[in-house]
Amino acid sequence: MPRLLRYLLPPLVALLAAGCMKWDYGRTEAVALPEHGLFVVCEGNYKFGNATLAFYDPATGSVATEVFLRANGFKLGDTAQSMVVRDGVGWIVVNTSRVVFAVDPATMKERGRITGFTSPRYIHFVNDRKAYVTQIWDPRIAVVDPRRFEITGYIDCPGMTFETGSTERMVQYGDLLFVNCWSYQNRVLAIDTRTDRVVDAIETGIQPNSMALDAYGKLWVLCDGGYEGSPSGYEAPSLLRIDAATRAVERRFLLPEGAASELTLHGDELYWLDDAVWRMKVTDEAPPTAPLIESRRTHYYGLTVDPASGEIYLADAIDYQQAGIVYRYTRDGEPLDRFYTGITPGSFCWK
Amino acid sequence: MLHSLLAAAALGTAVPLAAQPAQEAQGAAPQTATTPAPDATTEAPRKRIDIREVAIYGRRPLKETGIQRTVIDSTALHENIARSIADVLAFNSSIFVKNHGRATLSTVSFRGTSASHTQVTWNGMRINSPMLGTTDFSMIPAHFIDDASLLHGTSSVTETGGGLGGAVKLATAPVRERGFGLRYVQGIGSFRTFDEFLRLTYGNDRWQSSTRIALATSPNDYPYRNRDKKENIYDDDRNIVGTYHPVERNRSGVYRDLHLLQELYYDTGRGDRLGLNAWYVDSYRELPQLTVEYGDQSRFENYQREHTLRSLLSWERLRSRWKLSLRAGYIHSRTSYDYRTDRGNGVMAQMIRSRNRTDTFFAKADGEWSAGERWFLTAGIAAYQHLVHSIDRTVSAPTEGAADGSERRVAIGYRKGRTELSAFASAKWRPTERLGLSLVVREESYGTEWAAPIPALFADWLLTRRGNLLLKASVSRNYRFPTLNDRYFQPGGNPDLRPESGFTYDAGISFATNPEKSWSLKGSAAWFDARIDDWILWLPTVKGFYSPVNVKRVHAYGIELQATLDAALAREWQLTLDGHASWTPSINEGDPMSEGDRSVGKQLVYVPEYTASLTGSLRFRTWSLLYKWCYYSERYTMTSNDRTLTGYLPPYFMNGVTLEKRFAFRRLDLSLKGSVENLFDEEYLSVLSRPMPGIHFEFFVGITPKWGKKAGK
Repeated sequence: MPRLLRYLLPPLVALLAAGCMKWDYGRTEAVALPEHGLFVVCEGNYKFGNATLAFYDPATGSVATEVFLRANGFKLGDTAQSMVVRDGVGWIVVNTSRVVFAVDPATMKERGRITGFTSPRYIHFVNDRKAYVTQIWDPRIAVVDPRRFEITGYIDCPGMTFETGSTERMVQYGDLLFVNCWSYQNRVLAIDTRTDRVVDAIETGIQPNSMALDAYGKLWVLCDGGYEGSPSGYEAPSLLRIDAATRAVERRFLLPEGAASELTLHGDELYWLDDAVWRMKVTDEAPPTAPLIESRRTHYYGLTVDPASGEIYLADAIDYQQAGIVYRYTRDGEPLDRFYTGITPGSFCWK
Repeated sequence: MLHSLLAAAALGTAVPLAAQPAQEAQGAAPQTATTPAPDATTEAPRKRIDIREVAIYGRRPLKETGIQRTVIDSTALHENIARSIADVLAFNSSIFVKNHGRATLSTVSFRGTSASHTQVTWNGMRINSPMLGTTDFSMIPAHFIDDASLLHGTSSVTETGGGLGGAVKLATAPVRERGFGLRYVQGIGSFRTFDEFLRLTYGNDRWQSSTRIALATSPNDYPYRNRDKKENIYDDDRNIVGTYHPVERNRSGVYRDLHLLQELYYDTGRGDRLGLNAWYVDSYRELPQLTVEYGDQSRFENYQREHTLRSLLSWERLRSRWKLSLRAGYIHSRTSYDYRTDRGNGVMAQMIRSRNRTDTFFAKADGEWSAGERWFLTAGIAAYQHLVHSIDRTVSAPTEGAADGSERRVAIGYRKGRTELSAFASAKWRPTERLGLSLVVREESYGTEWAAPIPALFADWLLTRRGNLLLKASVSRNYRFPTLNDRYFQPGGNPDLRPESGFTYDAGISFATNPEKSWSLKGSAAWFDARIDDWILWLPTVKGFYSPVNVKRVHAYGIELQATLDAALAREWQLTLDGHASWTPSINEGDPMSEGDRSVGKQLVYVPEYTASLTGSLRFRTWSLLYKWCYYSERYTMTSNDRTLTGYLPPYFMNGVTLEKRFAFRRLDLSLKGSVENLFDEEYLSVLSRPMPGIHFEFFVGITPKWGKKAGK
């Protein structure tokens, strides 16, 4: 027996005392992004804390992933929702982490952060001193001072509670700001940016999820129609045209059954996702009957159009648990390039 | 039946329980470790050494033909009142335990499968959540379980269907002591953790009663270095002039778990036994914030509550050649989840109010018949009636037809019932002394759907009596039906889901030997290969919720090893080493979801390819030293197995040590125990963004009054 132990114990002791978990992040890298390009905001997985930010340079076709983490040595957070670049500062809204990061869009170094939210979704700048941050699970839009990185007040939104609170994207028309209310809602609110008060509510289809304002003063609102069994109702997706000045709904286009999302405007053309990519002119009086880009067993999750070239960028989340892929197409839907980003690429930001 | 009990023979240990008639009926020797090693926490402190029994079979138990089973030793189960079954499995098996933190959700991956592929039975009744299909092992106190074993892969078909990875079989057992007994243990540990355990027993020739109460409370606010965050140092103009990884505390991690288990057994003495088991759980647990959370904890409440009663009535009739048992059970479970925030004026506003209620009625009949020396026949049928009322959240919606715009409160959820039947018949045959064959056929129905029959074939071959070298092999088909949430959850449930199904092949070898009286060694090695089709995965939708789909084909295969060494090193010194290791590739072999899919041919997420665990226990007189160690290789969090900075979790080792000293006084026995967890203060994660505690301690005092009770029946 002692002989047996002589053989057994040394490797056991070595095994027990061996190694520790190796942390290979925390270090920072120098990041230098070109002046123009496309940020891809990757949500990651809910409650995994694995949101990332990627950057694509259309000129060279190069892509850099996890740029926030590399530049700062810490994670972007959980469920990154959206990003805006304004006056040389990038603002990334990280939903479940309840934070908005301000970064240098060239080096990705953090410039500051705003905390204190319930569940932030999008940020919109009214001017240099004031921005609005919409939220879900909260009936209030936060008013922030971007210079001090502080919440300075709230805009109470009528007709919703903390259980149903949902304000999403923002589009400004003069002093008026339109906000779509999405989850279990069916309204677009109009806010007077001078008084920070809601001044009107426009009834839309069920669950308006995205908006665009065209050059003719028409507000386009895409509604996903909810889901079967929803207490807020369930209907076919729809695309609404609202006159921004009168706030009257002028047209309502019914779309095929599906899950319409990501309404995007480029010039006089509207693009959106509904399994495939659809396009129509703002002057059309009927929705398209055939998609511009077909689905290929893809899970399209994000869409943008290059404001300069009109090229289309389409994010496929694949299985939502690996780096999603972004396809780049000509404005006629011909493939040009493709690149991998991060998990669940959901929104884009041009700089 | 040659039943070698080394310690009992050599050193006069506690007398093992009489072999039960049912085992006699099977013409079988007891399973390995059927007679548990004396419970370290309940044993009277005497100068003696107890060496664990090693079963050396003159005749192998027919009932166990071809079965791959890991028995968790009762000393491991009862080592510490603060342990859950999750903790025990982590250090005493090759199963991967996925912890979301200390005293938070803990699920397992058995042979590279997902948490819902492990079926869990308690005294023969399946206790997986009918809504989720999973079991939270952190909610099962190890001190409430007297017998635990793992049925690997195919072997689970003998117990229940749906165990594509395997089954965890948990059971309680009567103490079999005369008179009153009491044991009280209190634990005081790091992070203001208090554990209380009280057991009252009473027994005579006919009756055995046991009452167990366990209460665990802690703010659970352990400190950790948050490597997912950096805090900024600002100058007066709000410019960042420095950064650092902050040391934070686990926020919103409070728990208070109360468990109460009442057992009552009556033995007629003529082969009939009646049993009543009732286990009540009252749990309050906050859900800890993520490492990447920037919210002010004081502004939010985020907690879940659970009230569960599991109750069971059983009757067994044991005769020389047959055994019949009937069971009836009822499970009532109410779980709630509340998520609130401060409106800004100190008043909390509800954001999510989730309420789930499940009622399960259970009935089971089993029969065993030993038809001569060569045949052993069993059959059984189990029925579960689940009634589920799930409210995921409540929202306000316009009242239909109301012109005044009034609103009503509407619950989003579902209310469903489902009857599940599972019947099986098996025949075990030993045509020659060395060969055993077993065929099990199981048939299951879920609601109105019937699975194709589940056949399982087992064989074993005694290669040599020297070392009891036994070869085993088995093959089975198996199914797992979608859970009620998979089918009906609102929003997102998919009524069109197909059951997961697959084939599993097993082959292995085991041995048990004691060449010298002072030590014994047993071990096994098993290879397995399983293919699972229509793997169910919940995927996000653009409408903001998740929905399940049948997406993957998975090929899980690998090797499992285990070995146990018991040795009397010297007079009054005893050493036990128990080791487990597994290699479990679990590969997605489905079709690419789209042309960009890079997950085909890759390891599944959160399934380590290698796991290992080892426990070493050294006893000298009234001293006991226990060392625990486990290892998990890296876990990917991306199906493409990318090693991005956020894409995988590095491997980790975990170590723990416990030292106990027992004292015997005239009127009571006293036990003092100190335990150290995460001995080397490792910074590690089991799941992304869920911090785990560093080194922490707990001290236990156990008191057992002597009321003149006599061991044995």
